[in-house]
Amino acid sequence: MWSKLLIMKKLFLLLILITYGCSNNQTEQIVNIYSQRHYDVDQKQYANFEEQTGIKVNVIKANADELLQRMKNEGENSPADLFITVDVGKLWQASDMDLLQKYQDESLTNGISKDLIDKNGYWVPVTYRSRILVYSNERVNANELSSYEDLANPKWKGRILVRSSSNSYNQALLSSLAANLGDDMTLEWSKALVSNFARDPKGNDRDQVKAIAAGQGDVAIVNSYYIGLLLSSENEEEKNAGNAVSVFFPNQGEGERGSHINVSGIALAKNSPNKSNALKLIKYLTSDEAQETYVNNTFEYSVKPNISPSEIVQKWGTFKKDPLDLNMLGIKRKDAIRIFDAAGWK
Amino acid sequence: MNVKILTSFISLLLICPLLYLVYSVVGLNFETFVYLWENLLFGYSLNTIYLILLTVFFSLFLGIIPAWFVSTTNFKGKQFFDVILFLPLAIPSYIIAFTYSDLLSYTGPLQSTVRNLYPNFYKYVNHDYLQPEVLSLLMALVLYPYLYTACRISFSLIGSNYINIAKNLGMSQFQTFLKVVIPISRVSIFSGLFLIIMEILNEYGAVKYFGVNTFTSGIFRSWYSMQDFETASILAVCLLLLVTFFFILERYSNSKYKYNYKPNDSTSENYSISRYWRSSVYIICLFPFIFGFLIPVTYIVNNVIKTINIIDLNELVQLTYNSFFLASISSLVIILIAIFFQFIKKVSKSKVVFFFSEIVSLTYALPGAVIALALIIFLAFSSKIIGYPIAFGSLIVLIYAYVMRYMAVGISPLRASFDKHPDSFDETGKNLGMSSLKLFRNIHLPINKNSIYIAFILCFVDIIKELPITLILRPFNFDTLAVKTYEYAIEEMIEKSSIYSLIIILLGTVLLIFLRRIINRGLDVS
Repeated sequence: MWSKLLIMKKLFLLLILITYGCSNNQTEQIVNIYSQRHYDVDQKQYANFEEQTGIKVNVIKANADELLQRMKNEGENSPADLFITVDVGKLWQASDMDLLQKYQDESLTNGISKDLIDKNGYWVPVTYRSRILVYSNERVNANELSSYEDLANPKWKGRILVRSSSNSYNQALLSSLAANLGDDMTLEWSKALVSNFARDPKGNDRDQVKAIAAGQGDVAIVNSYYIGLLLSSENEEEKNAGNAVSVFFPNQGEGERGSHINVSGIALAKNSPNKSNALKLIKYLTSDEAQETYVNNTFEYSVKPNISPSEIVQKWGTFKKDPLDLNMLGIKRKDAIRIFDAAGWK
Repeated sequence: MNVKILTSFISLLLICPLLYLVYSVVGLNFETFVYLWENLLFGYSLNTIYLILLTVFFSLFLGIIPAWFVSTTNFKGKQFFDVILFLPLAIPSYIIAFTYSDLLSYTGPLQSTVRNLYPNFYKYVNHDYLQPEVLSLLMALVLYPYLYTACRISFSLIGSNYINIAKNLGMSQFQTFLKVVIPISRVSIFSGLFLIIMEILNEYGAVKYFGVNTFTSGIFRSWYSMQDFETASILAVCLLLLVTFFFILERYSNSKYKYNYKPNDSTSENYSISRYWRSSVYIICLFPFIFGFLIPVTYIVNNVIKTINIIDLNELVQLTYNSFFLASISSLVIILIAIFFQFIKKVSKSKVVFFFSEIVSLTYALPGAVIALALIIFLAFSSKIIGYPIAFGSLIVLIYAYVMRYMAVGISPLRASFDKHPDSFDETGKNLGMSSLKLFRNIHLPINKNSIYIAFILCFVDIIKELPITLILRPFNFDTLAVKTYEYAIEEMIEKSSIYSLIIILLGTVLLIFLRRIINRGLDVS
């Protein structure tokens, strides 16, 4: 047994050497991505890019904050070329932590909606999504709804469903409110909203929709594409739940600012070792071809006005976007968290 | 002397990242911490205590009582029960949380069926199942095997003497259990509970989903939401100190009640049960298996069948290989270190070795993400000192982190086993002129064989389920089964994640069954 253990030890050392050797292959053309996105469609995009350019795409997918800490500690030696998130607030944070460099190539944003482009020139938007309202077809009439602000109205007491304040989509929404209305008004609003909650925040976005179908609440705040996912589900009951609700874009009235949106974006790492390949990938992901692939697979919106959304999403109609500088979703984040805590939004 | 230095060196290697984390906290700005303390942490701590108490309560029922019956009572199918009672351990807590919430949800099979068949009755079923009580039951359902394992070994090693004496004194099975077996087994029970409590403390995914904010939620609140990793480190250090305190308390109280088990020289005559009681024994032993394993696995298999057409077989094989490879190597390293520590501790009786072999277990209470970050920060610091860049995303770093994280899992059963054997074994060996190496090979290795296997299974099964460390420290393009499961589950695509969870569970199950059989040869089950 003892000798067996020794053999195992040697074997183990050998394995480590082998694996170490494998991970140090540097000759081919590569681009390294740290990504928060982990959808199947992303794999598809990278495979297409590899096929067209011969540049191998290497990806690590994890939580945005974890990736930021990893990049920060790797410092100059970081292998990361690109940083991709589903929350523009984290892109702003990365630039604030001095982990990004400006892309300095105006042609990268050709054809992209002007209001989605970063004024500081750090990140490029890839897709966007809206945080919208869904309501019970049975118990709510569309004309009862108007804006996010109106959800604080006492008529919604015990009827509002939303997930926890630790969710970054909620944080981005509250940041946008704090930027638009000011901290004090946003706090008032949050307090009133919390008192209208149908239950303590829990579950994910789909669970909020299901809770409407189950009659636990009447109006939920969710990301647009989850409704698409429910409606295209193969589970009949999930489809039914999706059909029990309707989509409402808030703040669309005359003189109102429009619905809150968030961007999934890509940015060049400060110490990117394969910069030219990285820029090629950004260009590819914003190309018409890649944008078509996104909208047809994820129910997100394309950042290019000429690419129309998928069929299910088109049915909800077009909507006016909140024109707020998207960097504010990061800048106001810390204030938003304090507002959540002060309002008792769990 | 050399071995002492070696032990200290290995332990330091394992705890350095954490020591560095503690060090880095000194002199930090405590403003956010004070803010969190005033606003959230009190409530978070209460939630944590509530969750722990409930989970421990459920685990005691699910773990100890079946272990007692299987160890000491004659009934048909006992060996079968002994195998299946382990199996829930193969299911990660995030998978059971997601699976049951899908199962119980409005669109899940239970509610849909009742809704469609008995619309009048439905209003009694339509409840919000995302409750802390449900969560703690779910956690207990997959964590109780830690307690079951510990008790099973302990109850079997107690030997016939204690039980026979109790019988001669006219004690009933129930009295013997309560007054003799439980007190003697308290070391094992505590070590099992300790693992369970630490698992609850570091759980993040499931508690977040259920909307139960625990102390760990506070760590991630400051790191992810408030973008303040420093405050997150302060909280992590607080958690570490708290666990250290309980750890010392537990060790101290146990040291007063040290029992050496008598060698199990004769098989005790087991209790037999009346027909009336037999069915309740079956129910007690079946309940944890049905709810902790059978139902979730059936549901997952059903989902796999639904998605069978879109499964990428090549990818699946690759992921399975990755998970298997990482888990085996890391478990092996953990076991080697753990055996080394326990043996040196036993032979040398050195206080230093004792100290180090104990503190390496503490990392287990911290969330994996914090361990991974502590390691990254420590490596960044060391690479500055040695002036050579260290690649964070390598398998070596990943294994390093696993070893740090799961040392406690490997040490726990080994410690229980090494402590149980009387010192007279060593003394006899030494009197016979055996060298330490020979003592290890001829005595300690054979008599602790079972717990070595158990420690290996527990580590392997835990590592194959591991998530946050893998996410943060993995090399490019490297996925494991747990990572894939999580990626789909977090995007609310439970069905697509099912095949990956199924393989995790299958790997764990096969290993648990396989090794269970080897272990049973060493225990009293005949």
